[in-house]
Amino acid sequence: MLMSCKEAIDKFVNDGDTLAIGGFTTNRKPYGLVHEIVRQRKRGLYIEGSGAGGETDLLIGAGCVKLLINAYLSNGAFGNIGRRFRRAVERGELEFDDYSLDVQPLRFHAAALGMPFMPVRYLLMGSDLEKKWGIPAERYRQDPKLPTAKLKIGEDPFSPGEKVVYLPVPKIDVALIHVQKAAFDGTARIEGPVFVDDDLAMAARHVIISCEELVDPEELRREPWLNQIPLIIPDAVVHLPFGAHPSQCVNYYDYDPEMMYLYENVCQDDSLYENFLQEYVYSLEAHRDYVEKIGRVRLDGFRVDEKNYVQNLSRRRS
Amino acid sequence: MNLGELEKKKYTRREIMAVALARQIKDGMVCIAGTGLPLIGATLAKLTFAPNAVILSETGIIDGRLEELPTGVSDTRFAYMASAWWPRYRYCGFLLRMAEKIDLGFLGGAQIDPYGNLNSTCIGDYHSPKARFTGSGGANGIATNVNTAIIMRHEKRRFVEKVDYMTSPGWLDGPDGRRKAGLPENKGPVAVVTTLGVMRFGEESRRMYLSEYYPGITPAEIQAQTGFCIDVSGAVEAEKPGEDVLGILRQLDRDHIYI
Repeated sequence: MLMSCKEAIDKFVNDGDTLAIGGFTTNRKPYGLVHEIVRQRKRGLYIEGSGAGGETDLLIGAGCVKLLINAYLSNGAFGNIGRRFRRAVERGELEFDDYSLDVQPLRFHAAALGMPFMPVRYLLMGSDLEKKWGIPAERYRQDPKLPTAKLKIGEDPFSPGEKVVYLPVPKIDVALIHVQKAAFDGTARIEGPVFVDDDLAMAARHVIISCEELVDPEELRREPWLNQIPLIIPDAVVHLPFGAHPSQCVNYYDYDPEMMYLYENVCQDDSLYENFLQEYVYSLEAHRDYVEKIGRVRLDGFRVDEKNYVQNLSRRRS
Repeated sequence: MNLGELEKKKYTRREIMAVALARQIKDGMVCIAGTGLPLIGATLAKLTFAPNAVILSETGIIDGRLEELPTGVSDTRFAYMASAWWPRYRYCGFLLRMAEKIDLGFLGGAQIDPYGNLNSTCIGDYHSPKARFTGSGGANGIATNVNTAIIMRHEKRRFVEKVDYMTSPGWLDGPDGRRKAGLPENKGPVAVVTTLGVMRFGEESRRMYLSEYYPGITPAEIQAQTGFCIDVSGAVEAEKPGEDVLGILRQLDRDHIYI
């Protein structure tokens, strides 16, 4: 259960797998796990995303991703578009399809509960999200990694005449989730917003948990109602302090604006981007080297105060 | 195109837009705000005109007491002292089960048509676009189920007869559009707040018209920057942003995140 980041990614992430990534845009994103996927040069990945941020943009930019099913990709005001995503779509280098931020959590919830499909009313209907498919219908039918269709329009069987959208459930191979606390037995606790992560953990064939703090199981078991992920779910627990940097991690640290802006800048030039990957991922052997590189003193400056952010943190573009 | 010289010295276009946006929120309203300018509009409204407005987001945050400007909808600044921070799937209940409790949702986009249909996905062909954006985010569900205020840069290439991709439905093709499509009929876009003024939609026609133009801007300039015919006959000059509100806005965004 307890293993190194390198071992966990090597063991559970295969080329061509479908990943789902926890957190939301700039909050509790599993950057440490993602860096290791980039470092191991995994290829041909499919991603089922929803509130994607720089971590998904990084996987695309590093050439790991073949296909992205998503609803949103940005680091918020630190750069209003995932630029490597944008570039990959514009250059025809990425297969993609679009849902929305309400539909994706419902699909993940259905997958977690083993439902055959998820019916919804008044979402996607009448828009191009319903009518224009990013992935052709034939491709959906033929690729066993994908559902057999983006969606189907049907009738509510209990209210004849009422139009319903049937959404397929995603098939997730690996969920990557960063949590505040986990134990060596696999028990894990998200302190702060859960987003869709408990559903991802339940829906995926394999689950890799990285944690800020590795704690004794007894500590988490004392209040089991606060734990979202029970011991039988994860395949690997990896201890990665600052494993969500440069995103926020509730009760631990705020986001790192300088790093967010740096990413936004390097994204706009191919050679700068390559240098960035070299400097912050490929040339580093493990997450501890990343922590050293960013610097303990700087990281300590992001420790949250009682408001769960750093009050008056400068977010000025340097 | 520029604001009149005198007015221009007093505030920028993004500032007056942020204030116009905040003014759409009346005290006590329940609103959904997404990343970008809606966040500064909502924060400003909470600190000025509408302290009792309830703001929610698709990340599941409900009624944060905004003190500092959030950079996105998952920023803990958006959730400070909030009433709840739900798992995301539960937020869908607001759209699909409790839409009547939501007064207004805020959306942004790259292109808009006369009926308020909105594109936030791409420019050009969807499969091989000239420019690709983030995609729907929560916009599609908000636009379908609740009344919306839309934030746009006012440019001819953005105000078009037909959007390249309809991410979020407005009034579709006019008065009967939503009924024909099987969508909630009485919900749709009510205002478009732009860099030049505020547009609204005809009660009967469901077509966009000019409601207010900012001081220093003329209705003729707005028509020239709109790629379809827009009725400007009933438009009035917008109220100038007060010094006090501008002061709060500038203090709030002293890092120039949005303005």
